[in-house]
Amino acid sequence: MTELLLHDLSLAYEKRLGFGRVERTPVLDRVSLSLSSGEFIAVLGRSGSGKTSLLNIAAGFLRPTAGRVTIGGRDVLGPGADRAVVFQDDALFAWLSVRDNVAFPLRLNGSPEAERRLRAEELLALVDLEGLGHKAIWELSGGQRQRVGIARALAARPDFLLMDEPLGALDAMTRERMQELLLAIWSKSGTGALLITHSVEEALFVGTRVIVLASDPGRIVTSQHSDFGRRFLSGEGARAIKADPAFIAAREALITAIHGTDLQVAA
Amino acid sequence: MTAAVDASTDLKAEARTAAPVGTLRQHVRPLMPIITTLLSVGVVLVLWSLSSAYAWVSPVFLPSPLKVLRALSTLSTTGYVDSTLFQHAGASLSRVFAALVASVAIAVPVGIAIAASPVGRGILDPVVEFLRPLPPLAYLPLVIIWFGIGEPSKVLVISLAMIPPIAISTASGVRSASQSQINAARSFGASRLQVLRHVLLPSALPAILTGIRIALGTGWSTLVAAELVAASRGLGFMIQSAAQFLVTDVVIAGILVISALAFVFEAALRLAEYFFVPWSRHR
Repeated sequence: MTELLLHDLSLAYEKRLGFGRVERTPVLDRVSLSLSSGEFIAVLGRSGSGKTSLLNIAAGFLRPTAGRVTIGGRDVLGPGADRAVVFQDDALFAWLSVRDNVAFPLRLNGSPEAERRLRAEELLALVDLEGLGHKAIWELSGGQRQRVGIARALAARPDFLLMDEPLGALDAMTRERMQELLLAIWSKSGTGALLITHSVEEALFVGTRVIVLASDPGRIVTSQHSDFGRRFLSGEGARAIKADPAFIAAREALITAIHGTDLQVAA
Repeated sequence: MTAAVDASTDLKAEARTAAPVGTLRQHVRPLMPIITTLLSVGVVLVLWSLSSAYAWVSPVFLPSPLKVLRALSTLSTTGYVDSTLFQHAGASLSRVFAALVASVAIAVPVGIAIAASPVGRGILDPVVEFLRPLPPLAYLPLVIIWFGIGEPSKVLVISLAMIPPIAISTASGVRSASQSQINAARSFGASRLQVLRHVLLPSALPAILTGIRIALGTGWSTLVAAELVAASRGLGFMIQSAAQFLVTDVVIAGILVISALAFVFEAALRLAEYFFVPWSRHR
């Protein structure tokens, strides 16, 4: 079992004002987080709480000002095929067919053509897009595009799946259906998943752990376990879970926690 | 009884909505651009014929369309200044084509370097920006002093005019790749070279094709300048020789041939866009 460890991360943007003066804008303040395979962490927080910066550091796109990122005890210094990222604006390649988009990571690592085709079909089936491999990207709906993005991220069998508000731009009905699909995919692939989201309900439903980041600077104020996703995976209906008084109580508590981050700033 | 009356009024209403004028208009609407183009070309041709028929302008300055047509046919058979029209056109075509190949081979890597590396931008951007506004006639003498009056000088002059538009379009095309597309490739383990090959270049392809279209326009307009000196064949050379003896019908015929060739190139490039970069139509 591998572990992605974010250890005491701090991030500050520095703006040089001239004459040796530097304006520091702290974004993250000593954030520590561990993500194991088989775990699903959902990160909540207001805009500007550094959620996306946190994901970008975990992915290796951004270097922290202080702190370390390790995988299985080894330092991570840049992006790598062990951590695949799903983006809010799907980031698909319009010049490739759906199948070639999904197989893209395998093309990078030099897998043979036959294997790429096979794996692409397998993944398209996993995300409910069987038979659409030959389509062009612009022929797909927003929900279908995000599913291609998720399939592509899984192609090279990464240990960790990092998702930056992948469902943010979808309509409410599609979004609920995608949350269920996301849970099914995650449980089948056995990866460790990190999901950045604005939706408290979504975080509670899919996450095995829900984390709330406070703003200015971003720091973890709440971290709690959630087993609603597991209940869905063992057969309970999604609407029944979301209507469960326990779910509603947990949702309201999290909303209070997020608003509380506001009151602290005001006080 | 009332039902029958209702039915008849219904029929009338239907007849009114499905009036033949309406359907005709519906059929004509998609053809409107073609019709207006044909009309405007037709008006120019009619005015041209009238002006020569009534001698509004001396035929020395503006020969009749028929005379130009006849010039085209004699040019194709007997030719002008020792070469037939096809030899002149062939010479010009091969110069423009060689310049196209050379300028794409140089300008695309230059554009990539400008967009992808600050050092590349620092070195190459000033060169491209220096070259871009220069009229070809200004550096033509220098090119001849340095490289002589042979074929390479002519191709070089045309290439120099074609490089800046292709380089600038390539650079802006490379910049059009989104940061998340680049990051996606990196997160799947792509090296810098793989990001260039699999993300930046395909993103830039539509812009590169647009750059080539713009550059070809520049290329054809530079052709006449390039054939000013020590050419013995070429459409530009043919036009200039004819102009010196006021053989206006050959001048106009030459202009029409250049415009027809440029049109063919443009059509070929639009076809290439249609087939090779279909995604650029779906943004």
